Amino acid sequence: MYIPKDLDDALEYLDKNAPDAIPIAGGTDVLIQIREGKLKPKVLVDLSGLKSQLSYVKRVNGKIAIGALTSVAELDESFLVKDKRYLGFADVSAKFASPILKPLATIGGNIGVAVSASDYVTLLHVLNVQVKLVSVKGERVVPLEKLVVEKRTLAKEPNEIIYEVLFDELLENSSTAFMKFDRREMIITGYVTCATYLQLKNNVIEDVRIAFDRVTRRIPGRAKKTEDFLKGKEFSLDVIRQAYNEVLPTEMKRKSDFRASAEYRLDMSKVMMKRALLKAKSRIEGGV
Amino acid sequence: MTQTQVQEYPEITITLNVNGKDFTVNVKPYERLIDVLRYKLGFLSVKEGCGRGECGTCTVIMDGKLVPSCLVLAVQARGKKIITLEGIAPQGKLHAIQKALLDTYAMQCGFCFPGVIMAAYHLLSKNQNPSEDEIKYALSGNLCRCGSYLRFVKAVKLAAEYIRKGQVYFDLKKVPP
Amino acid sequence: MASSHAEYVKIVEEMFERKKEFRLIGQYVQRWDALDKILGRARFTADHAYFFKNLVYVHAVRAKYAHAKINKVDVSEAEKVPGVLKVITHKDIPGVNDVGYVLPDQPLLAYGKVRYIGDTVALVVAEDPYIAEEAAEKVYVDYEPLPVITNPLDIVSFGGLKEKEHTLIHDERGSDVIARFRILKGDVRKGFKEADVVVEGEYRTQFQEHAYLEPEAALAIPEHDGGVTIIASTQCPHEARRAISRVLGLPFAKVRIVVPPVGGGFGGKEDVANEIGAKAALAALLTGRPALVMHKREESIIGHSKRHPMIARYRHGAKRNGTLTAVEAEIILDTGAYASLGPFVLWRAIVHSTGPYKIPHVHTEGVAVYTNNVYAGAFRGFGNPQITFAVEQQMDKLAEELGMDPVELRLKNILRNGDRTVHGQLLDHGVGLEETIKKAVEATDWYRKRAEYAKQTGTIRKGIGLALLWHGNSIGAEGADYSSVTLIINRDGSITFRTGLTDFGQGSTQGLIMIAAEILGVPPDYFRVDQPDTSATPDAGPTVASRATAMGGNATLVAAYKLRQRLNQVAADILKCSPEDVEIHAPDVYCKSDPSRKIRWVDLIEECFWRGVPLQEFGYYRAPKAVWEDETGQGEPYFTYTFGTIVAEVAVDMETGKVTVDRVTTVYDIGKVINRVGAELHAEGGAIQGMGYALMEELVHDENGRVLNPNLYAYYIPTIMDAPKEIVALWVEAGYRRGPFGAKGLGEPSINGIAPAIANAIAHAIGARITSLPITPEKVYLTLKKLGKIKL
Repeated sequence: MYIPKDLDDALEYLDKNAPDAIPIAGGTDVLIQIREGKLKPKVLVDLSGLKSQLSYVKRVNGKIAIGALTSVAELDESFLVKDKRYLGFADVSAKFASPILKPLATIGGNIGVAVSASDYVTLLHVLNVQVKLVSVKGERVVPLEKLVVEKRTLAKEPNEIIYEVLFDELLENSSTAFMKFDRREMIITGYVTCATYLQLKNNVIEDVRIAFDRVTRRIPGRAKKTEDFLKGKEFSLDVIRQAYNEVLPTEMKRKSDFRASAEYRLDMSKVMMKRALLKAKSRIEGGV
Repeated sequence: MTQTQVQEYPEITITLNVNGKDFTVNVKPYERLIDVLRYKLGFLSVKEGCGRGECGTCTVIMDGKLVPSCLVLAVQARGKKIITLEGIAPQGKLHAIQKALLDTYAMQCGFCFPGVIMAAYHLLSKNQNPSEDEIKYALSGNLCRCGSYLRFVKAVKLAAEYIRKGQVYFDLKKVPP
Repeated sequence: MASSHAEYVKIVEEMFERKKEFRLIGQYVQRWDALDKILGRARFTADHAYFFKNLVYVHAVRAKYAHAKINKVDVSEAEKVPGVLKVITHKDIPGVNDVGYVLPDQPLLAYGKVRYIGDTVALVVAEDPYIAEEAAEKVYVDYEPLPVITNPLDIVSFGGLKEKEHTLIHDERGSDVIARFRILKGDVRKGFKEADVVVEGEYRTQFQEHAYLEPEAALAIPEHDGGVTIIASTQCPHEARRAISRVLGLPFAKVRIVVPPVGGGFGGKEDVANEIGAKAALAALLTGRPALVMHKREESIIGHSKRHPMIARYRHGAKRNGTLTAVEAEIILDTGAYASLGPFVLWRAIVHSTGPYKIPHVHTEGVAVYTNNVYAGAFRGFGNPQITFAVEQQMDKLAEELGMDPVELRLKNILRNGDRTVHGQLLDHGVGLEETIKKAVEATDWYRKRAEYAKQTGTIRKGIGLALLWHGNSIGAEGADYSSVTLIINRDGSITFRTGLTDFGQGSTQGLIMIAAEILGVPPDYFRVDQPDTSATPDAGPTVASRATAMGGNATLVAAYKLRQRLNQVAADILKCSPEDVEIHAPDVYCKSDPSRKIRWVDLIEECFWRGVPLQEFGYYRAPKAVWEDETGQGEPYFTYTFGTIVAEVAVDMETGKVTVDRVTTVYDIGKVINRVGAELHAEGGAIQGMGYALMEELVHDENGRVLNPNLYAYYIPTIMDAPKEIVALWVEAGYRRGPFGAKGLGEPSINGIAPAIANAIAHAIGARITSLPITPEKVYLTLKKLGKIKL
């Protein structure tokens, strides 16, 4: 175990020792990977002490910045869950693992895990998030879509850590929503998940972004063709239906596993997309 | 077949505060908070049901937050304030939630109870009038296979009532068996 | 029969006839161990490790394949790892390498082959659990993989249930069919000819995992005389002793099993202690140090028995007026790699295979077969939940065909006092089934809801459904059915209660205390319960089969009765009244006819001490011998039956197929409610566990026999947010004259009827039936889609 004095110290250590050394924050995934024998690091670099530096939710020049070590519990206490535009964060939190894991799990960790059940990744996709990475060499900013490339695979060096996520503040006439659905209510992977960003003006869809736990690759992704179909159209159930019946199946390829079949997952993607869009709309209109 | 070396990891000395008392222990870097609490410090109320944060039996309060002690490395708990079931009431007393669980006859095998009590205790420390939905959500990380769930809800409501009336602790001697 | 004249039977019958007023029986009384557990003071098995120095840790090296020959096991490298004391293989077993509960088919340590991925090939004993796990990777096994069979239909086929050609899993037995039972009554061909309607169905149920919150653990301490003491999380200490003695080659007197509080059992800890106790004992005896076996959750899931999956084909015939004429069924149970309790599970399933109805012509036939899946054994219900899922849906299907209300169809066919079961057993009293139906119907407003819900539109559709159940008490023809307790009144007036019956949450011991307390006239807090201990508490038979109250209760009743007679004699002499006139209401003892004549309980006890009146009593009860004819299934399989009616009310989301259970109403005829707290908790807990079985639980193997979801994240048991909003528990007391005050068991009945009631409610809500468990949202959804009821 290496306990860094500060961020620079951590980055130095990682630079010299990665990939034998890997960072640990809340540990809710790393420790399970080690338990299952999938990860065998020689050293863990404990980032939990760097919380004062890396845990924050703030507004900066028309953007919102969330520090990588911000825990899910801390997100629940931030202004995000009180602002009707960002209630998607409240939705993710409500179905996130279980209440006991929330103080440990971090948003940076969720991105770092990068599986289809990384619900924050799904949500952040519809916010067009940029991710700032840091290392001894300095910092760089990369779109989330370019960072998470496949299941448990990030386009970053072993000596880089996730520093923060950044996205533009949303417009007043917009909102977000996230749906997760499974056989039971909590501690679930989700048959499917769906995050939406919706921007309405006079009931016309000015802009829309839709992400799912899986579209083609084994990671969350955007359904861009479906989004394009919806943009500019009048918001109605018929339009949504057309979008998910005619367009979504052309860009989404679901797989069957022991939990659920591809057919069911595709159909539920449609239902969850509809419900998420309706929820976002009711938030824009009523703020709930 | 994988070849692994059983490596010698040097111990690290840490201090943590449990139920109001400071303890200094030597821990291996891979040792978990649950191992320290149970096998080094003797707080056996903390149970291990899954080791993966999925069952809630190892739940403790760390710096005011509800966490699964099986997913916190001992080293990460250094300098923190931990509360376990042994510490929620003074010696010779029951906390309202313990009394309420007795009053609602919720006890079966009892293995999930320490975790459930910590989750309920945590909820009641922040909210003295929780709704049924709030109670269910707060306990949603605690599995109970014997099926006392509905009684947990009743008990938390009853405990909240006791607390609102000012009865936070109950004298053990006055509790009927 | 000799036993019906036995003194103890007479005592039980006398108490049933005579005792009509009760102070404690049926009241709400706190468990004897509640305070200890609420303070977190109760010590479960693994907690004991804190109090031992020089512990060694035992890690099981499990099989790499689900079916393979073992050519060679090389532990030399592993033994060289620093911190490893020994690596144990089958060669180190001093006695017999077998831990099978019913059949001698289960090696403790693999020998020659492995038959499922949980088979233990070697045991690494080390100073530290992490070292043990690391060293396990250095145990080299030369495997020769064999074909893996995960589908029981590869072993037998329908239409005769004959064994097919395949690579034998248990070649040493010559066959992979472990048992076959049947009921053959009348002539089903004739019965179906007489039928106006016939319904058929195929029903499938899944592997269910007990998922008790406390994983298995055993701590063995080597004793000075070469024996061993084992602290174990088990339901059956005396059975474990028998099995472990056999493995160690030691007499019973040198193997002591002690049972601390157990964190859940549900049948899953019935035979696993044979295995882990033996493992810990071997390690302790070979190293001379206390040895701990502690299963991680993943290991627990593959390392102990599961509920048998069932595939069953049923055919029911009935007349236009609803009277059943014939029932025919073929039932296949998958017992996995080892038999465990399989033969008994199959037997119980067959005994109950027609449901609690009168039927003139019956042919139900069942087999249990090996596969390379995780082995199946005891799980609350023991074959009955599977059967009831099939039978109660068949009955509802018949009702649909006939245009009858499901309740009406049941009432036409149920067993009542004076009827004979399909085995020919006369039930001359104690059949409270009809009353349970009536109470359930009334409590749930059944008829109105049945009519109203049929006319729904909208996204959320409600449904109400019912299921009946019956459950033979105790072990029936499985073996010698006896139980025993020891009651010792101590000189200070306190009472020591000892029995080999264990508690794993069900609280039956509280009921036993209440029986003794009622008869002796003392408050329950006078009792101290000693933990089950093969060296100190009497062999009470296994704590299984819903028998603790029925059998342990009788043993307790008999002991308390005899003690009370003696106390009455002494008190009568002191108070100068007749023994029948003595009233004990501790702390007072007085004459009913003249309460001014009284003494204190403690003084009465002291008097007994001085007069040489023994104040300890051993209570024993042996159930009437079961009668069972293998060829026809005729006889008297169980001495009495618990009956019940369950009504489930559900809401189905027609867009996703997700089912929410709004309310479960349970009405059980348990003869007499002894421990009301325990009874209610059973009704509630059983409803939740049954709901999990119905809607979300499923242990899945891949085609290589590997478990895909061996943890609580991927194996879904209900959380508090999934529990039904309301569970209503009602009672009927149609006493059985040879139960303690008429009481019958509830441990297993409390789960049997839940899944079929929910399935029938779903069928009512969506107008279509799902005949396989679990009824996942996907199954509901795709059923609706096939019927064209989905509008995406």
